[in-house]
Amino acid sequence: MSGEAWLYLFAVLINAVNLFLQVFFTIMYSDLEWYVLAQLGTKASELHSAPSSSDYINPIDLCNRLNTYIIPEAAVHGFLTLLFLVNGYWVALVLNLPLLGWNIKKILDNTHLLDATEIFRKLNVHKKESFFKLGFHLIMFFFYLYSMIVALIKDEKA
Amino acid sequence: MAAPNDGQGQYPPPQYPQEAPYGGYEGQASSPPPPQAGHADGGKKKKRGYATQAFEFGSGANSAATVGAPPPGGMPPMPGTPGFAGVQQPSPGYGGYPAQGYEQGGYGAPVPAPYDAQQPGAPAQPPVGGYQSPSYYAGAVAGGMGPLTQNMAGLNMGGPQQPAVPQQQQHQPPAQQPPRLALNQLYPTDLLNQPFNVSELDLPPPDCILPPNASVTQSPNANCPPKYIRSTLNAVPTTHSLLKKSKLPFALVIQPYAALHDIDDSVPVVQDQVIARCRRCRTYINPYVTFLDQGHRWRCNMCNLTNDVPQAFDWDAATQKSVNRWDRYELNHSVVEFVAPQEYMVRPPQPLVYLFLFDVSYASVSTGLLATSARTILDSLSRIPNADRRTRLGFIALDSSLHYFSIPKDDDENGETSMLVVSDLEEPFLPMPHDLLVPLTESRQSIENFLTKLPEMFQNNQNNGSCLGSALRAGHQLISPLGGKIVALSASLPNMGTGKLEMREDKKLLGTSKESGLLQTANSFYKSFAVECSKNQVSIDMFLFSSQYQDVASLSNLPRYTGGQTWFYPGFNAGRAEDAIKFASEFSDYLSSEIGLEAVLRVRASTGLRMSTFYGNFFNRSSDLCAFPAFPRDQCYVVEVAIDESLQKQFICLQAGVLYTTCNGERRIRVMTLSLPTTTNVADIYASADQCAITTYFSHKAVERALGSGLDAARDALQSKIIELLQTFKKELGGGSMGGGGLQFPANLRGLPVLFLGLIKNIGLRRSAQIPSDLRSAALCLLSTLPLPLLIQYIYPRLYSLHDMPDNAGVPDPETSQIVLPPPLNLSSERFVSYGLYLIDDGQSQFIWVGRDAVPQLLADVFGVQDRSQLRVGKGTIPELDNDFNERVRAVIQKSRDHLSRGVGSVTVPHLYIVREDGEPSLKLWAQTLLVEDRADQAMSLAQWMGSLREKVVQ
Repeated sequence: MSGEAWLYLFAVLINAVNLFLQVFFTIMYSDLEWYVLAQLGTKASELHSAPSSSDYINPIDLCNRLNTYIIPEAAVHGFLTLLFLVNGYWVALVLNLPLLGWNIKKILDNTHLLDATEIFRKLNVHKKESFFKLGFHLIMFFFYLYSMIVALIKDEKA
Repeated sequence: MAAPNDGQGQYPPPQYPQEAPYGGYEGQASSPPPPQAGHADGGKKKKRGYATQAFEFGSGANSAATVGAPPPGGMPPMPGTPGFAGVQQPSPGYGGYPAQGYEQGGYGAPVPAPYDAQQPGAPAQPPVGGYQSPSYYAGAVAGGMGPLTQNMAGLNMGGPQQPAVPQQQQHQPPAQQPPRLALNQLYPTDLLNQPFNVSELDLPPPDCILPPNASVTQSPNANCPPKYIRSTLNAVPTTHSLLKKSKLPFALVIQPYAALHDIDDSVPVVQDQVIARCRRCRTYINPYVTFLDQGHRWRCNMCNLTNDVPQAFDWDAATQKSVNRWDRYELNHSVVEFVAPQEYMVRPPQPLVYLFLFDVSYASVSTGLLATSARTILDSLSRIPNADRRTRLGFIALDSSLHYFSIPKDDDENGETSMLVVSDLEEPFLPMPHDLLVPLTESRQSIENFLTKLPEMFQNNQNNGSCLGSALRAGHQLISPLGGKIVALSASLPNMGTGKLEMREDKKLLGTSKESGLLQTANSFYKSFAVECSKNQVSIDMFLFSSQYQDVASLSNLPRYTGGQTWFYPGFNAGRAEDAIKFASEFSDYLSSEIGLEAVLRVRASTGLRMSTFYGNFFNRSSDLCAFPAFPRDQCYVVEVAIDESLQKQFICLQAGVLYTTCNGERRIRVMTLSLPTTTNVADIYASADQCAITTYFSHKAVERALGSGLDAARDALQSKIIELLQTFKKELGGGSMGGGGLQFPANLRGLPVLFLGLIKNIGLRRSAQIPSDLRSAALCLLSTLPLPLLIQYIYPRLYSLHDMPDNAGVPDPETSQIVLPPPLNLSSERFVSYGLYLIDDGQSQFIWVGRDAVPQLLADVFGVQDRSQLRVGKGTIPELDNDFNERVRAVIQKSRDHLSRGVGSVTVPHLYIVREDGEPSLKLWAQTLLVEDRADQAMSLAQWMGSLREKVVQ
């Protein structure tokens, strides 16, 4: 197996990790929202009675939990992009640059972490972003897989 | 063109009698400002004129009438000189006491001709000619329909006392929907031809016209008065697309308390702990439910589920007697309070806890802050609510280290207050477990001793450090087991320890796009800590006093998310009596206010509606639950409502519930139910829109945007919104029939363009390179918390002309015994005459404007000085002089500060500034920035603004 194939295999694996993280994010956001809908129905019950009861997802905990994964996700993606740069896979590099730029911008603006005070107001924005990333990773997943197979076939031929 | 007066003719067909929802308002509305009949016979009454030319006569008449002594000017007294000014004046336009101007319009200054068209005193004008005030039509309608309503009510209902009523109601099958109600009539007016008149802002919101028998009892209190909840739309579109088409927002402005103390604004309290709620949607029973099955069951008006009626509604088990359910408060009043039973508590109700953080650094000691605040607390100890004798107080002092004070109980013989100093700022620990937070009742004497000694302890402190962040953490640690209020009094930038802030303001940044960064939080501690506090029921109030940069933007986050408030006293110095008195009286009122504790707010609504966004000072603990560690009584909240499904009913209900612990340890629920009619056409929506509520909504929204995307974005959004509204109105309803390229808008929204202009020109949002970011941040805090009446005044300040106020102004009204205010004027320098005396009041500060040519007699009467040059400008007071005019001026100033009569609680005591037109320029400029309709350095005048709107809309 050539270096190229190894690299793409690695990319496929890393990408799978990011894909799963993004799915997790989307589920958590939806959970928060789903919870809202549930409250409108039956579950609303005791809520007015218990100011600190635990029958809802605590936005503070949610933000803390998700915030731990945000930097690692961006770092892993950045590392992958760096690998493409070092190895000179320009197409893959160019495809990854927009997301890298977006992540860097968010980190520089210090807006990459979720803010518990504003989570409900920005939930839609976060969800949208999460969906876009999900789509991106999904496409990239197949791209890496394809590239890997192409590289393997090339190996065979060579 | 279908003139609106035609509309009057065909106003509601008799089958649908009107309900007059707000009794009080109706009465108020139907008596427009009296046309000043008293003026014709001015001969008997003493007249006052402070005209340039006529002051000698003025003095004569004046002193003869009031004192009866020889006048100071040496002129012979001329008793009973009526209307001399009019005669004396060389030019009629300048009638110092413009008798003729008055009779026409009720306005002192000579008014431009088109203006008269909309003066309340000229009802003969065709309705097209202006917004005559709703009283013009509402009054007529109410007058005509009132008896009918009564009859219908009698026929249909047989009175609320009879239990048969619910059965009848139930027989109205929803399938046979009666035709839509006639809602408020739309009165399009031309914004350019009939300029806005400030008195329109005081008009009550458009009536909320409900179908007859909407409420189960015919109680006049069945619908929520606008003082508690105002809806931006008093007719709700049935679908989301219709709402979108109208471009208007649908939001509620909720102000659960109308006064700082219960005694000033009492609400019926249901004591028996019987709380009937819908099983599914948890709505509290309210006047809009329907009873079924001989009254054994009730149908929820929100989700239509049938529920059982509690037995206690008809039978009192304690006294073994039957009771009349129609007497129950919750079926008669839209605003009620329930005493909550055990199930509504997760722990015993918390006591009231105040923890004071005193800044004792050099800045605080030298400005007298420490001494003033200690003294004020000392004097207010008896005012702090302590009915249950559980109130606890604690004190921490901070400079570069933390000073804890252990205060012994009064009956402890050997007890002595001791100070414990902790200088570890990273991990502050409590030096001792008890006596740091002491019950007020048991340690009253020791607390008094301590507060007396406190200023002396630090009077020579030269320390310049301030570890406010660490002190807050220490305070949080101290009170988090109980919850309560942390009151931080600080005069310096927190420059050490946790949450350290830096001087980041750069004059060069002001007025640029980078300025917005200064309005955002510098240190994330102030957000995460706020969330932490909210979790532990700790609320933080910030009293900030620095004369230098203090980073109000960062510090104000703590109150913002914990249900607190930021109070900013720039350049405070207790050496100035005005500063000390202002702070002391506000702080004392603040301490006396009966706040709620560990509160949550939730708004429920009819099926199909959803609360989408919440604005105000609290933390959203879930998407529709707002958490308040402490519930203040002087703030309002805005809740945006989304329409998810199309609404089938003729009217919908919204219910806001606040569950809280009173400051004397009782768990209570305040429930407010608002019912609004629905409509399927845009005209009704526009005709029932409430301009003040809409402005409040956009004010909150603008603040959010300013903090998030910057001031430019916030201003642009406001401008494009008003253009959008005008365009929509033109497209959907204008019909082009008015012609002439005018700018059409409904009568009830005429103030909107001006209010938006005022908002854009408010100190919080104004484009300017002169406004320090601290002042901006403080203003943004006000824009997002002030209760509606005060907010409107903050956006569009009040201007009163004092030198020519009518005879009845400044003295108590014979009927209500309230002081009568002079008619307000539009905020334009065109209204100023050079010899005039004016009061400009934006609720936060008051300016007494003394004209360039003010006559000596006026100055002598009001200020007790002989000459303009002796007049002290700047912060000041009006001296108490023994003459009638002085008394009236003071009465007007005082009345203008009266929050209670306007249905709001507020502790604010505005500063009074005396401004001389030819005096200090900076002060004069400041006062002039409040003149919203004038052109300011980088902002448009009203005429330009309307012109630019017109260009954008008409094109």
